[in-house]
Amino acid sequence: MMDLTQREWVKHAITHPAEGFEDMRWKKAGSLKIAFFIVFLLFLAVIADGRLYGFQFGVTYDKTFNIIPYIVKSIVLFAAWVVGNWSICTLLDGEGTAKNICIYSAYALIPYIAQIFINVILSHFLVQDEVVFMNAIRIIGVGWSAILLFSAIKSVHQYSFGKTIFAIILTIVAMLIMLFLLVLFMSLVQQVYIFISTIYTEISYRIRV
Amino acid sequence: MKKKFRKLLSLAFTGVLLGSAAAGLYAHAGEPYDVYNYDRWGEAIPSQAGYIADHTVSGYDLGIGAFNEPSDIFFDHNDLFYIVDSKNNRIVVLNETLDKVEHIYDDFTMPDGSATHLKNPQGIYVSAENDNIYIADNENSRVLICDYDGNVVREITKPTSEVYDQKRTFLPQRVIADKAGNVYIVLGNITTGAAMFDPEGEFTGFYGANRVQPTAEIIGNYFTSLFMSEEKKARRARNVPTGITSFDIDGDFIFTCTSSSTQTTDTVKKLNAAGNNIFANLDLSFGDYTPMYDTSQNKVLQPAIVDIDIAEDGNINCLDFTTGRVFQYDEDCNLLFITGTIAKQVGGFDHAAALESHGNNLYVLDSQKDTVTIFTETEFGKIVHEATEKHNAGYYEEALGPWYEVLKRDGNYRRAYVGVASALLRQEDYEGSMKYAELADSPRIYNKAFEGYRMNYLKEHFGTIVFVLVLIAAAWIFISRKLKKRRLAIEAARAEADRLALQGKEEE
Repeated sequence: MMDLTQREWVKHAITHPAEGFEDMRWKKAGSLKIAFFIVFLLFLAVIADGRLYGFQFGVTYDKTFNIIPYIVKSIVLFAAWVVGNWSICTLLDGEGTAKNICIYSAYALIPYIAQIFINVILSHFLVQDEVVFMNAIRIIGVGWSAILLFSAIKSVHQYSFGKTIFAIILTIVAMLIMLFLLVLFMSLVQQVYIFISTIYTEISYRIRV
Repeated sequence: MKKKFRKLLSLAFTGVLLGSAAAGLYAHAGEPYDVYNYDRWGEAIPSQAGYIADHTVSGYDLGIGAFNEPSDIFFDHNDLFYIVDSKNNRIVVLNETLDKVEHIYDDFTMPDGSATHLKNPQGIYVSAENDNIYIADNENSRVLICDYDGNVVREITKPTSEVYDQKRTFLPQRVIADKAGNVYIVLGNITTGAAMFDPEGEFTGFYGANRVQPTAEIIGNYFTSLFMSEEKKARRARNVPTGITSFDIDGDFIFTCTSSSTQTTDTVKKLNAAGNNIFANLDLSFGDYTPMYDTSQNKVLQPAIVDIDIAEDGNINCLDFTTGRVFQYDEDCNLLFITGTIAKQVGGFDHAAALESHGNNLYVLDSQKDTVTIFTETEFGKIVHEATEKHNAGYYEEALGPWYEVLKRDGNYRRAYVGVASALLRQEDYEGSMKYAELADSPRIYNKAFEGYRMNYLKEHFGTIVFVLVLIAAAWIFISRKLKKRRLAIEAARAEADRLALQGKEEE
């Protein structure tokens, strides 16, 4: 039963929202390599979403290109989700390991990524009056991904419906806290750096004199 | 022979000399500032000048003594130029070229025959309909309406009406009259709009008040005031908008401007006869997009539009006191040119006070330098004006030539790309239109051009597209069948192998 290759497992998971991840868990399937590849695709998708739309769907500011916001919007956000979910669900008797959370969540993102790529391509063939098609695709993609993500968290931790919702809300709170701490840490590092560099400048002046 | 050669040489030499002199002249015509314009992103970019400062005129030049803090200028329909010489309590009238004094008004004859004088006059207007001169006689608290000979026809003083708060002063600063003879007066410290008087001089109400800018403080005040007693409310500071600073009339519309360091709404308004602002919901911005930061004073210099003028071709000129710049907009409020600066040189101002346009020239009054600066239209400005006028009137194709000419001179001029894209779109040159729309950063035009382009493409290549689609479908069916057959064969072979293996096991 269910002797699928890793690639077939991806297909199985995203086409069976209710049972797909349960089956994966039962068969201990899922590859971290594929998960990382999906996150990389997410990163590309976020860039495409930001810059590659057809000209009739808005102008992008092309005087500068800064890659940091795109990294934050894709890779950092995903990492924060995994870490946040793992920290919360370890406390809430979740059965998922960090590795499994990462794999299942990444698989769940596939419809969202596909939606972006389809829309970016379509935007070069459609005019503004036909934007409704793109909106429909977007809603389907985002909705599908949301359902998959819910199902993924539910099966990776073996939670009930209510507890999954609770865990997801707590995960978002945890992500915000992490973000806050990160900003705090950054400014602290900056202060320390400035302090050290000031001392260095001061000393270097003294030595020269 | 030798003589001839020498002649030739000297001729060539003279030519070079003349050429360099011309070049020197050209350099002399440069402005004491960098000319700029804004791109689609609201960022300043270098541009060509639409106007250059030609010369200045002062009272000394005219032989009538220096002006003393002049505050308003006006060109009437007979091409006479009026200067309100405030602190000298007189009105100076010059000819069209501003080199000859035609008349000086300093005393007027009242209807009863007595003489009267001005005291710090601030504004002037001459009606083309009835040839009357309207003078805002500030410190005499009146507006004088007189004819060309200085005979006062009517005097408008502080109204006794209930509507006009009698505790307030009546200090006219600017005055205009519409075609019907109604008089509009901008008053100092009145924030409820311009006072309006009918042709008989009867007060009929206020016109075109500004709105209060909804800042966080004002919204907060509103909510706290819900819980306050009437007495407390009466005692707190009231939220009043800034009063109008100046205005101009163009046909049926009155354009007002408001200079304020705090208010950014309603700085420029276009009012119809009912006093409704046509610009109210258009999300327009006048003056510099990003306020200039002055390092020497450590403060942000907010634009303060102190005077507005509507040119004969409908262009809107706004004078910014803070930066000493004239911002010229077309009738649809697209920025055309930015001219002027704060400087001592010709073309710069100390205390820009008033603005007037006539023909192809701009006239700016400086009340500290006590001069009038004349800006003349450049070749570039002329082409842009021609193109804009045609474009705004809907003659896109006729505007195409001038727009190309503009682009030859200034490849940064965004309006030209919009113009070319629109014209090409109308000519059904969709590909060209798409190219220029992209350069103009205008998705709206690009969208229309693309729609046409796609339609044409589909029409032209319909056969090919259908053929390719059919081919792909056929290939798909063929390959999937082949694959299925192969898979079945592999599965059958595997099953056979399993069976054999099982058999072998059993035999063991």
